[in-house]
Amino acid sequence: MNILEALKFKNIGAGPVQSVDEMTVVPIVGDDHSDVISPPSSLKFERTSNYGTMVFTNEDAEPAIVPAHYSIRGRGAQDHAMAGSGVVLAGKSKSFNNACCVEETQGGYLSSTGNDEDVLPIGLRRALLNYSTRMEDHYGKLWSPIKDWLRGTGVTARSSAHLRYFYDNKDIKAELEHFAAEFEPVPGQIGALIMFSGTPVGLEIMPSADHWEAYWKQLIRGCYGAELIRLKKLDRLQPSALIMPEIPDAASPDEVKDILESFVRQLQDDVIPLIQGIDVTGSRKISKDGGLETRMLTTQTGGGDVIFKDSEPIYVSLVL
Amino acid sequence: MARQDQLQIDSGMLQFAPKGAYYEEADEQFRRVMDMWMGLFDHDRTLFCLTSLLGGTGFSKGMISHILLANPQSSTGLELVPEGLAFDYETKVIMYNLAKERTPRALKNLLMLAGGEGQGKVNNSRTRKIILEYIFNRDHNALDNLAINYKNKLRTLVRHALGKQDLFKILNGDQKLFDKWIGRYHPNAFPVMCYLFDKELPKDQVHAFFPKIERVLQLKVAAQTKNADSFKKLMNGLPHLTVMGYRNTYKVDIPIADIFEKSKVSGRQAVQMQAAAKRQGAKVKVNYAKQDIYDLWKVLYYKLLAGDPDDSDKIIDAIGKQSERKEKIDIGKVTVVIDASKSMQGSDKRPMHPFLTSLSILSILDNIQDVIYVGGTQVKVDDTLSAVIPSGGSDLWRGLVDAVMTGAEKILVISDGYENSPKGMFDYVYKHFKNSGHEFELMHINPVFAADAKTGSVRKLTDDTKPLPVTSYKYLETEIIFNRMIENRDLVKKLLVNKYNKLIGG
Repeated sequence: MNILEALKFKNIGAGPVQSVDEMTVVPIVGDDHSDVISPPSSLKFERTSNYGTMVFTNEDAEPAIVPAHYSIRGRGAQDHAMAGSGVVLAGKSKSFNNACCVEETQGGYLSSTGNDEDVLPIGLRRALLNYSTRMEDHYGKLWSPIKDWLRGTGVTARSSAHLRYFYDNKDIKAELEHFAAEFEPVPGQIGALIMFSGTPVGLEIMPSADHWEAYWKQLIRGCYGAELIRLKKLDRLQPSALIMPEIPDAASPDEVKDILESFVRQLQDDVIPLIQGIDVTGSRKISKDGGLETRMLTTQTGGGDVIFKDSEPIYVSLVL
Repeated sequence: MARQDQLQIDSGMLQFAPKGAYYEEADEQFRRVMDMWMGLFDHDRTLFCLTSLLGGTGFSKGMISHILLANPQSSTGLELVPEGLAFDYETKVIMYNLAKERTPRALKNLLMLAGGEGQGKVNNSRTRKIILEYIFNRDHNALDNLAINYKNKLRTLVRHALGKQDLFKILNGDQKLFDKWIGRYHPNAFPVMCYLFDKELPKDQVHAFFPKIERVLQLKVAAQTKNADSFKKLMNGLPHLTVMGYRNTYKVDIPIADIFEKSKVSGRQAVQMQAAAKRQGAKVKVNYAKQDIYDLWKVLYYKLLAGDPDDSDKIIDAIGKQSERKEKIDIGKVTVVIDASKSMQGSDKRPMHPFLTSLSILSILDNIQDVIYVGGTQVKVDDTLSAVIPSGGSDLWRGLVDAVMTGAEKILVISDGYENSPKGMFDYVYKHFKNSGHEFELMHINPVFAADAKTGSVRKLTDDTKPLPVTSYKYLETEIIFNRMIENRDLVKKLLVNKYNKLIGG
C-alpha cells in the first residue's frame, strides 16, 4: 500500500519545487492542525537529568510534539538526541529515558540555555529505525554508528563518537549555513519531500506552517544538509544537474515564459508519483498519549514516525 | 609588492555593521572586513584614511579611525607632500567624520579608543586631542545637552583621555591643566567636569551656563525624596532615559505614560519608542517628515506586521516627500526587479533589512520605468496600509522574463542572489535572451552585506554580472567609486584628495 493510501492523507499538495545543486526540496502544503497541537514556542528543552534522559516541558494547553531525532548540543555538557519523536502532554514535563548520547567522552548535563539545536543526519536516524535499538535505555547506543558516520569525513583524527566534530568544523559550519539559506519556506508550507540527485531521501510533515517555520532549518541544515555534505566528502553522491527545457532562439519573451512555467509545473507534478512510490511495509504502535498515537512505520528502504490525532496523520518524519 | 598585487577590497569595508545576516554571522563577517581594512591600510595609508570620507556605516568609520590612531604617522609627513595634504589631515578627517555622525554613534566610535566594542585601548596625544575637542568644543547649550544625555559615556572618555592623575588634579582645581586640556575648547566647562564625576558643582556657574544639568540634579533630589509633583515639573524636556531611570530607581509614583509624553527623545528614538509607549496607553509624537527614508520604511513595515494602521497615511506621505527631496542617482532608464523571497527578510538581529534597503534604493533611483516584485505576499491592514512582505521561494527568472517583456534596456535586480526555484534558471534564461538578440544591460545589487565579496564570491546570478554589495541606499556612490578603485587606484586617490579639499580643506 502506498504511503498516501496507508496514512489517508487529506488535502495535501506540492508547492513550487526548490532545487539547488544535488538537493531538491519539494514543499508540501496542507491542513493546519495548530488548533490541536501546542505551538512550537511552547515546547522547551529543559535539561538532561541523567545520561540518556532528555526532559522537555510543554507550557501550552494542547499536547506538544518533539520532532524525531531532535538533538541538543551544549558547551561543557554531553550532547544528546532523541531516539524518535516524542509527545509532551499539555502543561507537563516529560523525561525521555531512551535518548542517545552523541558526544561519547564528554561529561555533564545539558541545561535549557545556550544550546545549538538540530535534527540528526539521516545516516544516524537510520540506526534508530530498529525498534529494539530505539526503545533500549542505553545512552551509548549511537556511539558506534556515529564513529562510522564520521569516518572518512576528515573532521577528526580521533575515533570518539562526537557528532559535534562535524557540526563545529569551521568549513562545514559555514557550508551548512549557506546551504540552509539556499532554501526558503513557502506560504502555508507544512512539510517537504527531500531528494538527493532526484531520489527521495526524506519526507517531513509538521502539524502546521508555524511548526515548519520553527523546525525547517534544523531539518534542512542539521539533518539533510549535513548528510549531503558528508556524502559529497565521501564521493558517494551521484552528481546531478537539472536539465533545463529547450528554448527556441526565435521564442518571444511570452513564449519563453510559457515554456518555463510548464517546466516548473512539470517538476511539481513529477513529485506526486514519487510520493506514491513510497510503500509502507510495516507499522508498529509506539505510544498513545493525550489522544496522540505514535506509530513507527517501515518502508522498503527506511521508515520513521507518524503521529495520529483521531486517526488523522498530523506529523510524519520518514527517512527513505 | 606581492601584497599590493593581491590587495582585494570592496565597498563592504565601509558598510560593515556587526549585526550578521540571514546566512552569515557577525564574527565571520568582521574577520573578513578586518582583512580588508588592514590590507588597504598596509598598502596605502592615505587612501585608507580618505575612503572614510565616502558614505559608510558609523562602525566602519570608527574602526578606520581606530586603526589610524593606533598606528603613528611617520615623523616627517613628507610622504604626504605629493598628495598636497597637511600633516594633520588624518585628525581632520576623523573629526569631520565624527561631526557627521549621530551623537550616540560618534561617542561609540570614541569609546572604541577606550576599549569599547571589543577593540584594544589606544591612548596618545592624537586620541586625547580628538576626544576632548569633540566633547568640549561646543557652545554652552550643546555641552549642557551632551552632558545630561551621555553622562556615563563622557565620564569614560574623559577619564581615558586625561588619565587618572591629570583628571584628579583638574577636579581638584589645577587651573593650568584645565586650561591646557579643556579650557582651550570651553573656558567655562569646569561645572560639566564636576557633574560628570559627581563632584560638588560651583552653583553660580551651573545656573548661568548649564541649566539642564542643574535641573537633572534637582530631579534626582525630587526622586530621592519621592516628591512626585516636583518630579513631574522638572522632568519636562529632560532625556527620557534619565527620567525613567530616576523614576524606576527611586520608585517615584508617576505613570510611565506621563514620562513617555513629557520627557524628551530624539526623532529616531521617538520612532523606536512608539510601540512601547502605545502599550502604556501613551502616544509619542513623531515628526515623520524629518526621518530618514530607511527608518520610515522600517516603521511602516513594523506597523504592517503588527497590524497597527495608526499614522500609516502620514508615514506614506513622508516617504513620498523624502523620495522627492533626496538627491537622485541616475543610472539611465531602468526596470527594477525586487526579490521578495523569504531570505530577503534578513536576520533576527536586523529584521527586514535587505528588503527595506531595496525599497530605499528605489526611492533614490531616477528614471525608473517599471518595478517588478518576485515572490512575496501582499499584506493588508486597512485601506491605507498594505504592502508586500518577503515570503516564499526565489524564482527570480520570472522577474527577468517580465522585465524583458517590458522592452527594458537596463534591468536592475535587487536580490541577495540566493535562487532556488530552481537554482541556475536565471542564468539559463539570461543567456538565452542574450544569445537570441535581446539588447539589455543587467545590473545586480545585493542588499545583504557579504564580506566574501572580497573574493568575488558574493552571490552571482549570472557569470558576467558582478554584484554590487550595497547594504544602505546611502552607499551607492561609494559602491561606484570602489568599483573604479579596482581598475585605477591612482585616479580614485586623486578624486578622494579633491573630495577632502572640498569638504575639509587645509
